[in-house]
Amino acid sequence: MTISAASESRLPTMKPASASRVHSRSHVLRRAALYVSLWIAFIWSVFPFYWMIATSLRTREDVFQRPPSLIPHTITIQNYIDLLVGAHFWRFAMNSLILTFSVTLISVLISVTAGYAMARHRFKGSVMLPLFMLYGQMFPPVLLLIPFYVQLRFLGWLDSLYGLIPVYLSYMLPLCVWLMRGFFSQVPHSLEDAARMDGCTRWQAFWKVILPMAQPGIVAVATWVMIHSWNEFLYASTFILSEKKRTLPLALSELIGQYTTDWGVLMAGGVLTAAPIVLVFFFLQKNLVAGVGGGAVKG
Amino acid sequence: MDARTEAPLRLKRTWSSVFETGFGARIYPYFLVFPAVVIVLGVVVYPVISGILWSFYDVTLRKLVSGDVAFVGLRNFQRVFEDPAFLQASYNTLIWVVLNVIAQLGLGLALALLLHRAIPGIGFFRSGILVPWVVPSVVAVLTWRWMYDPSVGIVNELLVRLGVIDAYHPWLGDTATSLYAVTVESIWKGTPFVMLLLLAALQLVPRSILEAASMDGAPGWRKLWYVILPQIRVSFAIAAVLTFILTVNNFNAIWLMTEGGPLNSSEILFTLAYKYGFQRFDLGMASAVATMLFIGLVIATTLYLKLMQAREGD
Repeated sequence: MTISAASESRLPTMKPASASRVHSRSHVLRRAALYVSLWIAFIWSVFPFYWMIATSLRTREDVFQRPPSLIPHTITIQNYIDLLVGAHFWRFAMNSLILTFSVTLISVLISVTAGYAMARHRFKGSVMLPLFMLYGQMFPPVLLLIPFYVQLRFLGWLDSLYGLIPVYLSYMLPLCVWLMRGFFSQVPHSLEDAARMDGCTRWQAFWKVILPMAQPGIVAVATWVMIHSWNEFLYASTFILSEKKRTLPLALSELIGQYTTDWGVLMAGGVLTAAPIVLVFFFLQKNLVAGVGGGAVKG
Repeated sequence: MDARTEAPLRLKRTWSSVFETGFGARIYPYFLVFPAVVIVLGVVVYPVISGILWSFYDVTLRKLVSGDVAFVGLRNFQRVFEDPAFLQASYNTLIWVVLNVIAQLGLGLALALLLHRAIPGIGFFRSGILVPWVVPSVVAVLTWRWMYDPSVGIVNELLVRLGVIDAYHPWLGDTATSLYAVTVESIWKGTPFVMLLLLAALQLVPRSILEAASMDGAPGWRKLWYVILPQIRVSFAIAAVLTFILTVNNFNAIWLMTEGGPLNSSEILFTLAYKYGFQRFDLGMASAVATMLFIGLVIATTLYLKLMQAREGD
């Protein structure tokens, strides 16, 4: 399915130097091939997402009907009602929200000054530190998992939401600093100099002039942290033991039953978990894509 | 700009004047980076070092509680190498990484080339193709698990209707197919990110170069190979290393679909280390596997940084 997309993608770039009549016919053909491969790629990408939504809107009998039908026979929101009334969904959502908010706030506050200093000031380590931050991002979580477990146990923070905050910071903060540094280095020097000439202290110039200029970058970083904290599963599933402290992804995974799973309710939970992320993404698409394409990679 | 035009800057002397001169000015940058450095030392450096050290100790959860932890040198590594599951997991990790990296780069490049053109409706396709990247990983994995369902899964139904298979197959429950079934999900999830990276690179390729190649009448594949790829080679290499790192660390896909089973058929080193640590509670063995993974990733990361510097030098 996707292999064909790969081979057809090259067709449109062909440009035989031949008579114009032939050219226009091959042009139409190339256009058609291009759209066909785009549609294939589109359906391949979107289908599981469609399937999740479709399952969440089916009745129990319809979900387990064999063979499954591509389009639901009847549409019901019973699964959503079951989820929102029966399970502790609100509590899990609240847990996720509190955790995500705290981690985002802390990482942005701390990375904003560090990123700025690394972009603007020369000091001992101003070359090494950013590289080090990038390395920090690459450490495998499985290596950190065991020391974290031992440490949290020692501190008595196992099975608590606040215990997860430093754990999440471990994989959020280094890249945040790195990204912030990238954004700050794009703000022109002259602005800061002008503010200083007008009598700002260095701190004021940073706070009142540079920070507002770097706002799109800060929004991108904050969103990036938000999305990752919201989605995090490995650490939460290892360190959270009691049911009422579960985060949303963890709660979802716990809906998988030993013998039977109520897929309708599970998929409804999936839709509700994905919804805030999808919304944030489509509102901030430009910022985020710039963050990935520009800041993260180009440095 | 706003700050300058909105209000004339008549700022009072504040506490921040300490940083203007002398000692204050000298410590100012350190003051700014201090919180970040302290936290990173506390939550990254310290755990990494202690994680590596644990791999040389005989430590289980019970021994940890009683404080009876002994240094055993390389015993943990030896025990890991003697475990047949480790051999299987290493082999699986190799397959898992190679398949994921090749497929995600190939498809990512194809998609980037497809989406890198201004034709009507391209925004619609671009948004749709980014969907797998946007959906939270746990949600995506659980959806695929449902799609692979052996009795009412849509994957089975579609494949039967297309005539690829005769009867429903338990894709995740069969030792022959479990790893590959998870790989398909992982490719689906990872490709859009690669596409984004390569698309960003393609958009930096000067138009004149592409036009010159077209004028010379170079056929498509030659243009791709001799003109486009050399232009984006550094981004391509960065995407390769990043995909490698993300794939090695992809725990969710395997754990939530198969937990490494059945019979270790989809076990990778990451999930094996996790099982040692949190099912057998042998923290020493878990750390030994994690340390080996760590060394592999450090090599990859170093390569990545070298490539980044090469790109900045371009």
